[in-house]
Amino acid sequence: MEPATVLVVERDILVRQPLAQYLRDCGYRVLEAVNATEARGAVSTGRESIDVVLMDVKGVPSEGGFALASWLRSNHPAIKVLLGGTIAKVLQLAGDLCNDGPGGGLDYRLVLDHIRRLLAGRSRRSPDAR
Amino acid sequence: MGPGTPLTVYREVRHGMMVPLQELDRGPFRVLLVEDELFVRMDVAATLRYAGFQVIEAACADAAMEFIESGEPIDLVFTDIQTPGILDGLALAERVRAKYPLMPVLICSGNPELAGAASQWGKFVPKPYEPTGIVRLITSSMR
Repeated sequence: MEPATVLVVERDILVRQPLAQYLRDCGYRVLEAVNATEARGAVSTGRESIDVVLMDVKGVPSEGGFALASWLRSNHPAIKVLLGGTIAKVLQLAGDLCNDGPGGGLDYRLVLDHIRRLLAGRSRRSPDAR
Repeated sequence: MGPGTPLTVYREVRHGMMVPLQELDRGPFRVLLVEDELFVRMDVAATLRYAGFQVIEAACADAAMEFIESGEPIDLVFTDIQTPGILDGLALAERVRAKYPLMPVLICSGNPELAGAASQWGKFVPKPYEPTGIVRLITSSMR
């Protein structure tokens, strides 16, 4: 059986990459989108069969995670939407997915610590960063 | 091969792709892929992952540079020249080479007139290309 496909929508490469890799390590097929336009494109063309969309409310540029989640619910009700309010919450949702995934559970807190270190490093390099 | 020449042992990973054993022993080979067209990026990333590479996806050169500056390890950069944002693929390649002079860089474009400029910083790859051809190029750059 094919592994479920998770679409991770996140603008920030320092968050998206470790998160997506974590889910791949858990056995999922993972697609990545950097904004709502890409996410809508990925689900609308029918080219990709997407089971879950995972995103941070603040990680979706222009329209935000709530608007994208609402659009997904209206237009693609079969897709499960997981929306976190913080990066920590998104990682926790990913951890729950991982526990149910084909590869077995892995500790999401290690990934969260990794992301926090990356973001802290960026803050030191650029005071204007998120 | 002369005395003292390091022996490189290759192992087939998938689809006849030969990867040096030393590379497999030290963890996955990490490719930073920079492409703003979603489905092109998806196709290339999927093909590279299927061949056994770990792929970091960036939709623009600015994000790619941010990833590099974070200190996260990468082994090769494959970038389109025309990407949205402040940096384009050529500027990214120049900065990558300044930071990591030995890092292999593949630079692609649909405009063959950019081949000369790209060749200053890496290997030019004309568009369109087959993702499997990129796997072969990356594999050969590892040798």
